[in-house]
Amino acid sequence: MVRVLIVEDERKLAQVLASALQAEHYDVVVAATGEDGFYRANAERFDLVVLDLMLPGRSGLEILQTLRQRQIDTPVLILTARDGIDDRVLGLDLGADDYLVKPFALPELLARIRALLRRGRPSDLLRLKAADLEVDLVARRVMRGERPIELTTREFDLLEYLLRHQGHLVSREMLARDVWKEPRRATPLDNVIDVQMTRLRKKVDLEGPVRLIHTVRGVGFVLREGEP
Amino acid sequence: MSGWWSGAPIRVRLTALYMAVLALMLVVYAAATFLAVRHEFREQLEEQLHQGVESQAAGGDQEPDPEERLQQQLREILVVLVLGLPLVVALAGVGGYVLARRALAPIDHLAAEARRMTADRLHQRLSVPNEHDEIGRLAAVINDTLARLDQSFGQLRRFTADASHELRTPLAVIRATGEMGLRETRTPAEYKDAIGSMLEEVDRLTRLVETLLRLSRGDAGTVRLSRDIVDLGDLARDVVTSLGILAEERQQRLEVAADANVRVSADRLVLRDAITNVVDNAIKYSPSGSTITMRIEADAVEATLSVTDEGPGIPAEHRERIFDRFYRIDEGRSRGSGGAGLGLAIAKWAVDANGGRLSLASSGSGSVFRITLPRSGPRANGAPDRGAS
Repeated sequence: MVRVLIVEDERKLAQVLASALQAEHYDVVVAATGEDGFYRANAERFDLVVLDLMLPGRSGLEILQTLRQRQIDTPVLILTARDGIDDRVLGLDLGADDYLVKPFALPELLARIRALLRRGRPSDLLRLKAADLEVDLVARRVMRGERPIELTTREFDLLEYLLRHQGHLVSREMLARDVWKEPRRATPLDNVIDVQMTRLRKKVDLEGPVRLIHTVRGVGFVLREGEP
Repeated sequence: MSGWWSGAPIRVRLTALYMAVLALMLVVYAAATFLAVRHEFREQLEEQLHQGVESQAAGGDQEPDPEERLQQQLREILVVLVLGLPLVVALAGVGGYVLARRALAPIDHLAAEARRMTADRLHQRLSVPNEHDEIGRLAAVINDTLARLDQSFGQLRRFTADASHELRTPLAVIRATGEMGLRETRTPAEYKDAIGSMLEEVDRLTRLVETLLRLSRGDAGTVRLSRDIVDLGDLARDVVTSLGILAEERQQRLEVAADANVRVSADRLVLRDAITNVVDNAIKYSPSGSTITMRIEADAVEATLSVTDEGPGIPAEHRERIFDRFYRIDEGRSRGSGGAGLGLAIAKWAVDANGGRLSLASSGSGSVFRITLPRSGPRANGAPDRGAS
């Protein structure tokens, strides 16, 4: 089982994170102070550490630095409320593997965690499948059952992204950043994403036996067989 | 000495300076007068001596020694000059001091008035006794500054009020939805709906806070912009690629008419934000079936990207404030389409930050938003340009 340590002093946030990760079948340990977090990260073996930067007692950056000095190279994802560039750069320089700025969307956190855990393992998938939908990434061909589907480049990228996160929620932030390659999210882009998603759904789902692409209100989208 | 000098009030310094110059001039004048008189007397004396020698030779009477008398007269003149000079200087000094004080009194008055100004009383103005003299001009300049300050403070106040309104609205929705959800037991679908609705508002809040943060960083001048050589035509086509789908949905045509190779030196992402927001605005307010044109032109010094739409245009009374934060022409309409009234404010900031201007021309048959930027120099072919900043 994958073990994740959460170092977060905000009790409510720590609780929510813990239950979200448990729902994804991770083994979760929560440390509510910097001291405790440092002690555990040092003494036990974890596959991943989610580290808040603003902690009472011992700051997240300090913990990170000490861990890395001691050659403990567990992947660390830092959480910060300050989105000043300096903080992020400092964190990454000190050996963090990724960062998220509060307030973040839970699907995004989960996706980042999956990506960090997957790291090092090749993802040499050439074909992606869900129900009777098949996507050939090399030939860039999409089939729903026996029916070929013509997609634009953007629609194809979007579908590929949804399939790669199959069964997991995908937020608009994630799409903006990873599919549209926009570093900043803005209202116009949100509308673009929604329109693009509607079109993709029309092409992919209109004639299929089951609906695959679902909108989860207030959160984003998910590609999944059956109800979201 | 210099400490005393710079510490003394202007009227004292003015008077002291005036007295010193006057004294110097008087001394020179007196010395010259004295020397001239002495010279004249000497000549007279010599003449008299000649005559005296002749008359002595003729055996005349012995007169009192004329040289002795002359010296006596010269001494008297000297005494008058030496005593009179300080007296004159002192009198002039007193007069000068009184005059200087009178001349400078309006400044004291101005200072006293200005001291009473506070942020809350910026609408007040200093009194201008005579607008043509130096003091009047000074007062006018200060009043001008006050007017601009007053305007900025007004904007800030309006901004704070608008911002808290915008922040409060989603909060109210979240609260009401949560309270309604807890009131009685509901079906899972209803709960999902309620939670989804709350999350939507959280999303709106998050984006609003992010945008406000960006704007306030822009105000504080802490945003570091990169200077890239940007081809405006490329940038416009880039925006069309990303927003084209929105225009398509509304059966609008989005066209680019660009002169080739119009390059500016700007932060590519920030400038693209500006164009995106302006074009998005045009898409939102144009009727379906209309055309939105991005036109890129340049002369020797400036490059212009104009966005022309065939919408209803912007009434004159709104044009002035259209770039203000949270400003909406039609309250009800824009909230629905997802904007908080910050798009054009962001655009304006983004253009300003890149050293350009964003202006608006509008009639009943559409609006033209014009982004004008200084052209990057002749070395612009991929070479970094420092001249255009």
